[in-house]
Amino acid sequence: MESTRQITKAMEMVASAKLRKAQNQALACRPYFETLYATIWDIVESNTDMTSPYLSARQGKKMAYVLISGDRGLAGGYNSNVLKLLLSQAEGTEMTVLPMGKKGADHLKSHGISSLTESYTHAESISMGDCFSVAKQLCKGFLKGEYDGVYVVYTKFRSVLSQTPECLQLLPLQKDLEKKHGNCQDIVYEPDSETVFETIVPEYLGGVLYGALCESRASEQAARRTAMDAATQNAQEMIDGLILQFNRARQAAITQEITEIVAGSQ
Amino acid sequence: MNTFALMIVTPDGVQFDGQAEELVVRTTTGDMGILAGHINCVAPLGMGMATVMVDGQKRYGACIGGMVSVLNGQVKLVPTTFEWADKIDLPRAKASGQRAKDVLADKSSTDTDLRLAEARLKRALIRQSVAQYK
Repeated sequence: MESTRQITKAMEMVASAKLRKAQNQALACRPYFETLYATIWDIVESNTDMTSPYLSARQGKKMAYVLISGDRGLAGGYNSNVLKLLLSQAEGTEMTVLPMGKKGADHLKSHGISSLTESYTHAESISMGDCFSVAKQLCKGFLKGEYDGVYVVYTKFRSVLSQTPECLQLLPLQKDLEKKHGNCQDIVYEPDSETVFETIVPEYLGGVLYGALCESRASEQAARRTAMDAATQNAQEMIDGLILQFNRARQAAITQEITEIVAGSQ
Repeated sequence: MNTFALMIVTPDGVQFDGQAEELVVRTTTGDMGILAGHINCVAPLGMGMATVMVDGQKRYGACIGGMVSVLNGQVKLVPTTFEWADKIDLPRAKASGQRAKDVLADKSSTDTDLRLAEARLKRALIRQSVAQYK
């Protein structure tokens, strides 16, 4: 018991240290992530020209999901929460999944769900360049019609104590028709809207993926820290209980011995 | 001079958030200058130097990839990488450029290698030239 407590305590410390780093990264990245996402949607909403294939909704049911999970377990509900969200979101669609993170990849394999590529299964070592090449690949597949929508499932880092799994629609960039009225403005596209969307969409996808990855990493460490903190406390409680029981048993044995000696001497 | 709200955000954090008088960025089709009251517009960015005028003072930065958008007077510059001239790691840029040159000179390099090296060399050269403006 004592050694288990020491292990969980150590893991908590490691997670705390990593959390600080991941948290800084996530906080630095968040304005970029949010601005990029908001700007793209602003542009889409005020756009009147619907020629870009990225903008038109499709009827198909072939969806691509990017699943961002952790590489290791022992992080409370962190991994299972994103998986649950993915499965509930993807119900009724033909899904292809691109897993980032070993746990997610393993889970998909054991459930017989096809994954697009296995080359990004080590979440901790994925760089920005990797995110951009994933984005390019997804855009190409989307344009070819291999899938009709692209989503990312990640864990949003709200605070050290609270992380929520979320699913974000990346493609198609389809505007909400009700919001359209009153928001139409003319925008000058340099050199023209088709080229703009062609260049910006992969960038946007890559940027958002990277942002989601940073958020998820911070969430993973926070979830692990909380889980390990709870485990350490449980271990401590159990140790206290066991010590009490042990002392009682010892006391009982001593009392009995004394009673026997006294009884024998009489 | 009239000012406008400018925000420069990169994956490494917010590089600038405040009022500026003028912004010049290199888009994929050439330099584009933005002053206050600019029409709504969007353009993808190329690789090049960005100039920001704040309080009559010019600041220079190496700005690579991403996009610039003007919506209702709010200007957002969202590049993939952005470094102010005084933050550029010159030795690193030089070393990176040299490595890229080595790859380009190597006859056995594959097409992908060449393409990557070319982009790296371009970035290194831009950083080096912007760093002179500190």
